[in-house]
Amino acid sequence: MGDPGIYLEKLALFSRLLRQEGLPVSPRETADASRVLMEFGLGDREQVKTALRTVYASSRQEQLVFDRVFDGFFISEEAMREQARQRARQEAEAAQAREDAAKDLQVGGEPMDLSPEQMDTYVSMPEEARQKLRRFMEKYRSTAERNPELYSNFIHSVFTKTLLEQQLLMEDAGLGAEAADPEIGLLFRDISQFGDHEIPKAISIIQTVSRQINGELTAKRKRSGHSGKLDFRRTIRKGLETGGSFYRLHYKKKRHRRKRLVVLCDVSGSMVQFSEFALRFIQSLNQVSESSRVFLFSEQMTEADAFSLQNMDLFRSHVRDSGVYGKGTDLGSALEKICAMEPAALNSSTTLLILSDTKTIDQPRAVAALQNAKRQSGRVLWLNPIPESHWQHIRSVQVFSSLCSMVSCSTLGSLAAACRKLTV
Amino acid sequence: MNLEELKQKMDEAKYVYDDTLATVLAVALKLGRPLLIEGAAGVGKTEIAKVMAHALDRDLVRMQCYEGLDESKALYEWNYQKQLLAIQVDMGRTDSDELTRGLFSDEYLLERPLLKSIRSERPVVLLIDEIDKADEEFEAFLLELLSEMQVSIPEVGTIKAKTIPFVVLTSNRARPLSEALRRRCAYLYIQYPDMEKELAILRAKLPHVDDRLCAQVALAVQKLRGSEAILKKPSIAETLDWAAALDALGIRELTPDALRQTAGFILKNSEDLAVLEQTDVTAPHEHCGHCGGHHHG
Repeated sequence: MGDPGIYLEKLALFSRLLRQEGLPVSPRETADASRVLMEFGLGDREQVKTALRTVYASSRQEQLVFDRVFDGFFISEEAMREQARQRARQEAEAAQAREDAAKDLQVGGEPMDLSPEQMDTYVSMPEEARQKLRRFMEKYRSTAERNPELYSNFIHSVFTKTLLEQQLLMEDAGLGAEAADPEIGLLFRDISQFGDHEIPKAISIIQTVSRQINGELTAKRKRSGHSGKLDFRRTIRKGLETGGSFYRLHYKKKRHRRKRLVVLCDVSGSMVQFSEFALRFIQSLNQVSESSRVFLFSEQMTEADAFSLQNMDLFRSHVRDSGVYGKGTDLGSALEKICAMEPAALNSSTTLLILSDTKTIDQPRAVAALQNAKRQSGRVLWLNPIPESHWQHIRSVQVFSSLCSMVSCSTLGSLAAACRKLTV
Repeated sequence: MNLEELKQKMDEAKYVYDDTLATVLAVALKLGRPLLIEGAAGVGKTEIAKVMAHALDRDLVRMQCYEGLDESKALYEWNYQKQLLAIQVDMGRTDSDELTRGLFSDEYLLERPLLKSIRSERPVVLLIDEIDKADEEFEAFLLELLSEMQVSIPEVGTIKAKTIPFVVLTSNRARPLSEALRRRCAYLYIQYPDMEKELAILRAKLPHVDDRLCAQVALAVQKLRGSEAILKKPSIAETLDWAAALDALGIRELTPDALRQTAGFILKNSEDLAVLEQTDVTAPHEHCGHCGGHHHG
């Protein structure tokens, strides 16, 4: 081993990188890591990696982050040269592609006004998609001669929209380290992307997590203590066991009221998988399941009974038989019906839970109905399967999220976190 | 103990390990940190503590966690009955202050696993099993023990560890553990063994069982674990039980019939058994159609 000072300096830098990646690394970890390196030496790369991982990472997720940072930081000289060569090659290719793109994207002989990110997106698009855009420009070329400014604005807006969609698609395709984990990866992946073969695994994860939430609630109830009133009867009775001395005082327990929940569940074509998973979670929560009512809606609305929510097959056949499946979405009409129910479905002690992607016909009516429902119920919570990073681009999400608390639930992990909130 | 010595000790215990596991254990020992082991049920987390007890030549003190576990079950309890008797016997003979002091002495203290592990004259291996089943309160209580190696008993004061135990905590990830607890531990995540390791375990633990049968069992278990449709994946202990059961029944070849007869040893719920009916896990590996079940690593 060479000068230890150099290694310690590198180790401190490595710790800083890990911290930047979100790992809670304190000086203690760095000190421990240096002790470990002194003990094991630097001869075997895999051994060093394992030893440092033991010190720095304290969960499976952190291990995955650690591996990524370590592989990027401690690389062999040969690998470093190869990476540099590869990067130079990629940069040359990218520069050429950008030049070609600049030639493609000209309006009236002038380069189109696109940001560098948009230009990069165009470069990374598949050739087929680029051809489609070029054909589109060609089609409207004659208009350019008549009104160059209008043409330029129009083409620009179409390009921006297409590039944005492409960017979102690429974001969705890129899986994080957690999503690649074979055991818990499903917790971090978009529910709508689950394949049929992954559904049993997803259900088993839901069962585990809901058991966990139920366990936490039981523990919380146990901890929440007594009502403050002495239970004379139990204290005297227990005192008899210890010769009449009141060794332990017993108190009356607090009474716990179950939460009342009204679930309004969108079962239009794109939402049915998400709704199925969300309902599974909600039904398995002891705290809310017995006192909840579930309404399914698309253009019409129908109430689902507990029997039809027992398993996935029953739920799907119930949705199909009820005639609400696969139609458009009319949230306004569904909310109006719930608000007008006799006896009232909503009151100050109920939580109205809406499972929907906010896409509805007649948005103004839906907004008015939601405001009315909010007045009638104690609390309104909206579970939205659209990832939060996309919200800023969707107008309906912005409108509804300003009216009630909306939680993004695109993954089982976030759905579980939202269900925890329900029981608070 | 250095890495090589540790490996030698684990070899003596006929424990099948890989370099990763050995390195993690050596790091935890070197730093004197508790070791937190996570992984699915049945991957051999508890076994590691037993092997460490053997390797370090220490006693194993085990504490099984469950919901509602509290200090009186984990740390100490006053022997109440004995205290009452002492009061009855000494009533009127001793002055009350002395009597009270005497009541909270070692004589009336019932040691539970945590206290036992730090008051032991010889260092021990302390296994805190399935910590995820205990309440968060208990986790917080463990922090003092794990970081300072001392515990506080209100009637007695702070008790410092006479010897430092090697602490192993296991978790099935039924609930997330607190960051504070994680930070105090060295961390190990273990997965189900691959074909090669599973076969090595079968050979080490059941040397009398036919090699060919072991290979077939290991291959079938790998297939079952790889199937998305199987909800409760077979554990290593179940693999060993299954191979032992097949051997006890005099079965030398894992045929579909033999599998049906003994499926209860490896799959423990009706849905999984129904899946097994539709899958042929006894067929040779798809990459190697002509072998009789040699190992594929």
